[in-house]
Amino acid sequence: MKQLICLEINGREYDVPVSPRDVLSDVLRKKVGLTGTKKGCGMGDCGACTVLVEGKPVLSCITLAIACNGKKVTTVEGLTLPDGQLNPLQAAFVNHGAIQCGFCTPGMLMSASGLLNRTPKPTLYDIKHEMSGNICRCTGFKRIIEAIEAASETMTEGVK
Amino acid sequence: MFMNEFEYLAPKTPGEAYELVSRLGSKAKILAGGTDLVILMKDKILSPEYLIDITNIEEFAGISYEPGKGMVIGATTKNADVQYSEIVKEKYYALAYAAGEIGSSQVRHMGTIGGNSCNASPSGETPTPLVALGAKVVVSSAAGDREMPLEDFITGVRRIDLKEGEILTKFILPEPAPKSASRYAYMGARDANEIDCVNMAVNIELEADNQTVKNVRLVMGSVFVRPLVSAAVPALLNGQKFSDGLVEKAAEAAQGEAKPITDIRASEEYRYTIVGVLARRLLKEAFAAAQEV
Amino acid sequence: MGAWDHRENYVREGKPSYLDERRFTQVGRSVPRVDGPAKAKGEAVYTADMVLPGMVYGKIKRCTEYAHANIKKIDCSKALALPGVLAVLTGDEAPNKWGIVPASANETALAVGKVRFYGEGVAAVAAIDEETAEAACDLIEVEYEPLPVLLDPFESMARAGEVNIHENAPDNILHKGDQIYGDVDKAFAKCEYILEKEFKTGRPQHGYIEPMSAVASYDTQSGQLHLWASSQVPHYLHRQMSVVLEMPMSKIRVTLPAVGGGFGGKGEAAASEFVACLLSRKIGRPVKVTFERADVFYTSKGRHPCHMKWKIGLDKDGYIQAVDFDNTLDKGAYAGWGVVVMFYTASMVHLPYKVPNARTHVRSVYTNKPTTGAMRGLGGVQPRFAMECMLDELAEMMGISPYELKMKNAIESGYTAINNMYVPHTEYKKCLQTAVEKSGYLEKHGKLPFGKGIGLAGGYYISGTAYTLYQSYKPHTSVTLKVDTEGGVTLLCAAAEIGQGCNTVMAQMAAEALGVHYEDVHVQTGDTEIGSFDLGSFASRLTYASGYAINEAAKEINFKLKAMAGGLLGCRADQLIIKDRMIYSMYEPKFKIEWATVVQKYVNSVGALSAVGHFSPPRRKGIDIITGNRIQGANIGHSPTFGFSCQIHEVEVDVETGRVYVKKVTEAGDCGTAVNPMSVDGQVEGSIMFNMGAALYEDMKFDANGKHLNPNFHDYKCPTFMEMPDMDTNIVESYDPTAPFGVKETGEGAVQPTFPAIANAIYDAIGVRFYQVPITPEMILKALKEKKEKEAGCGCGCSCGA
Repeated sequence: MKQLICLEINGREYDVPVSPRDVLSDVLRKKVGLTGTKKGCGMGDCGACTVLVEGKPVLSCITLAIACNGKKVTTVEGLTLPDGQLNPLQAAFVNHGAIQCGFCTPGMLMSASGLLNRTPKPTLYDIKHEMSGNICRCTGFKRIIEAIEAASETMTEGVK
Repeated sequence: MFMNEFEYLAPKTPGEAYELVSRLGSKAKILAGGTDLVILMKDKILSPEYLIDITNIEEFAGISYEPGKGMVIGATTKNADVQYSEIVKEKYYALAYAAGEIGSSQVRHMGTIGGNSCNASPSGETPTPLVALGAKVVVSSAAGDREMPLEDFITGVRRIDLKEGEILTKFILPEPAPKSASRYAYMGARDANEIDCVNMAVNIELEADNQTVKNVRLVMGSVFVRPLVSAAVPALLNGQKFSDGLVEKAAEAAQGEAKPITDIRASEEYRYTIVGVLARRLLKEAFAAAQEV
Repeated sequence: MGAWDHRENYVREGKPSYLDERRFTQVGRSVPRVDGPAKAKGEAVYTADMVLPGMVYGKIKRCTEYAHANIKKIDCSKALALPGVLAVLTGDEAPNKWGIVPASANETALAVGKVRFYGEGVAAVAAIDEETAEAACDLIEVEYEPLPVLLDPFESMARAGEVNIHENAPDNILHKGDQIYGDVDKAFAKCEYILEKEFKTGRPQHGYIEPMSAVASYDTQSGQLHLWASSQVPHYLHRQMSVVLEMPMSKIRVTLPAVGGGFGGKGEAAASEFVACLLSRKIGRPVKVTFERADVFYTSKGRHPCHMKWKIGLDKDGYIQAVDFDNTLDKGAYAGWGVVVMFYTASMVHLPYKVPNARTHVRSVYTNKPTTGAMRGLGGVQPRFAMECMLDELAEMMGISPYELKMKNAIESGYTAINNMYVPHTEYKKCLQTAVEKSGYLEKHGKLPFGKGIGLAGGYYISGTAYTLYQSYKPHTSVTLKVDTEGGVTLLCAAAEIGQGCNTVMAQMAAEALGVHYEDVHVQTGDTEIGSFDLGSFASRLTYASGYAINEAAKEINFKLKAMAGGLLGCRADQLIIKDRMIYSMYEPKFKIEWATVVQKYVNSVGALSAVGHFSPPRRKGIDIITGNRIQGANIGHSPTFGFSCQIHEVEVDVETGRVYVKKVTEAGDCGTAVNPMSVDGQVEGSIMFNMGAALYEDMKFDANGKHLNPNFHDYKCPTFMEMPDMDTNIVESYDPTAPFGVKETGEGAVQPTFPAIANAIYDAIGVRFYQVPITPEMILKALKEKKEKEAGCGCGCSCGA
């Protein structure tokens, strides 16, 4: 029995008919048409599907869409600035060579956003520990860490 | 990969929740974070007709501490919130640390402390330190509350003492004794997103002389069907002056009590060895921390 | 490597600056990847993101009951009756055999008559949505007659009489071969130091985060089939679809959307692609087939587990005199890349050290496990593990540093191996020196406290070859360059960008060759109809091959533009050079004109300006020109050039828990000219983590019936951020004069030293040598216990083994 739910995705409201068993990643990708969020394993083991719900990083492939009714969801498409420019985190990823095949990138960006939301100036250990739910097979992680560190600096410039 | 069709219910008050749980009985499963439940449903191991989402009920979440009385943690408190809570870190360090080692950051932001115990997986992270800290759980229903030690609540692999109509609602932690400290450790193949092959927590309380052990609780996870509270370790250490020699004996004693199995993650033999190693390290670590208090 | 300054005056190796072909302005820039921003915005479209009008979903029904069984009956009636199901498919509808090595092709799109590995596809459905497709698969009823299961190559060979996996291989052996050079027995007799050991490697898989996915659209009116797929080899897909669907290649088009990693695992063709095409043709609608992660594990064509017997002999001065190597490879259920990988392992012994006598016996044996295939650094990783560990041990026997032993035996530029492999250029010694210097290896090796260790290993890999699969000299890569005043420069090539960065480096090389800026070049890749032919992204061939083709195409364009410019300027065309969007006279500064102006004049007066360049694999070096006799191993490993590297790993072993922590890796690599240094570093860092996982945590496990125990990322442990060591990667100054832009490979050479460097570091840490990967904590504890018992046993407290 489908139910109409309302999701606020990247600042915009979407009314979506969902079945209770629909997971958030499928709803985002197939019903809303935002395919930036990726499915790597469908079981919560790789982190590629990470999005923010109420600013907190979650695995959308094991999150029920219906449980997000009325909540704020941020996907990778929501990071891009209104004029199409890359936000500091996205720009840092591009400039530091933190993107190769790019499939883990949306999940990485969302996890990193969640991390920087909570801890604007994370230590190296914070980054490693809080990003470890995202697997990358291409980069060896080093440049992703550098990008997050650089973004943190840019974003906290002038902020104590 | 796709779950069965089910009906989703999201009660807003405890009363609504108890009513649903009691009416629907075994046809329903409680949904909190879903990090265990949804995976079991996607694997088609579970196919409940109803899911009752209890995360919209304010009364079921939150951390509140009263000096002298202890702490109450609502069952639907996210593990990440336990991990980051300053007061939990200060008073119940092992619990904060263990909560921070569950799965991944995402899993910690989704999953709840109640779910971690109700899932009753032998390798669950937070039950171990909770038991070591003497935590009690409160299970509630329309008829009222029942309270019991956590180690009695978890009865076996994925088995808990929860009757029809009941929901786990609270964890109650006693005020830490003066001169006490708790520590947690685990072992796996990796340092993240791991299913522990052994985990362990120690809660140690010292006498005023900073040397004699007043009381120690050592709890082992992943080496028995449920959190294993060591009887031998306190028998050896309580009332004694802490020493390396005693720690050795205690570690061996803990090994003797453990009942690990061999599975894809580790062999029985390896787990025995790790029990000894972790016991030795944790006892020393907790002792040193208690001395500082 | 800065901006071009035409006044810069110097002389290098007798050449004045303006004639120095190493004076790059675009090659050598660490420009961010051209596709980076789209990927960062979530706008890059991968195959599973695609939606076409009328598209439906396909799913494969797999045998999850047995690893080896005859198919007695398949009943799809209940599935077909399910509302929303449009078609079903069984293996017998597409029985044509395909295979990446044409001579040994024995795979079918779905199982025909027999299932040979757990999880093999036996049928498929097309339905209006994924949920229905999954439910329909559950309704397909298959009756099996189970057969005995062979899980070990030696068991396969021993029981070949009673259990046969392929009818045309009665001994269960896909192929075997011997390569004998010189006289190893005579050489061993003269050796002072001889070491014999057996090595074993495990079974990792690629772990690309994007599962296989394919969208096929068959147009009933025109009979044209368009396939989009997550693949490394558009051409091979093109060819294999033609074979299996019995359609001419001219009716098939393959386009690659963004691809989420391959590492060799998407270098053949996958059931997702065949099934999508077959179903689409059946129902006349687009069909999307995306694998679940478990499907990827069931069908993943990972690294061949090797059971190796090695014997290496050194003379009294430490020079390698003989290598005797026997290898039994676990082929899994089908042939795939088998012959190539097998012979590659044989070829790998001849470099990067001088080996005057060598004997290899190799055999590839079928088992009822997923087919093994090409995995990053194919055929090199396993023998490299053994050889670098053995040399470490031999150095100890001799009482010298492994570094000294390796430097002694290391080859130099211009070396011809005994199997006729020719190395035009190498900086291997510089790699060893750089890594040793930067890591402090000599100060640390043998001197760190118990539990801490440092290990060294070297490696190399082929670059630019591809003769092996397509045994012809037809161009293996063609690049079309189109220049026009409106679009700037467009590079068209059906090459596969899979995340390794080829789009970016091809743009850089094209910009360099044409004398424009990287930002001026648009790259169109991955489409067999739009781009000119390319063999595929594997064996580290693309930078070299495309660089060569780009140069050829650019030469033609430059010739035309120079002729026009010469006319416009009133000077000789052959004294002009093109750099930095300007066309200059190299002798007279007053003659200069903007590149864009000349292009415009050309287009207006002559017409469209484009050129095609080609790269053919080099002459088979294994052919004796005079007699025409084939030299052994001629087809395999005869690469035009090679990349080299050295890795030094520092580890900490927790001797109580057996956990091995890799704390720091120092690497130095010779990739010739680094077209994009940031990209090279990224590839090397990724390579280190990639094989570190297989060295310590990763292994596919099966039970006694061949059923997967860990077909998921939960229990198949890839390294996470937490496992990442400090990595200090160094690009050694290098230029291969025989290569386009001086380039060689990276990305596959960089995985080679990882296994042995870690094993050697563990030995340095705890005094135990491991001859097997992965090295698990349990193995460490067991070995330490045995070592302790042995030392205690002899009573003198030493490790005399008495």
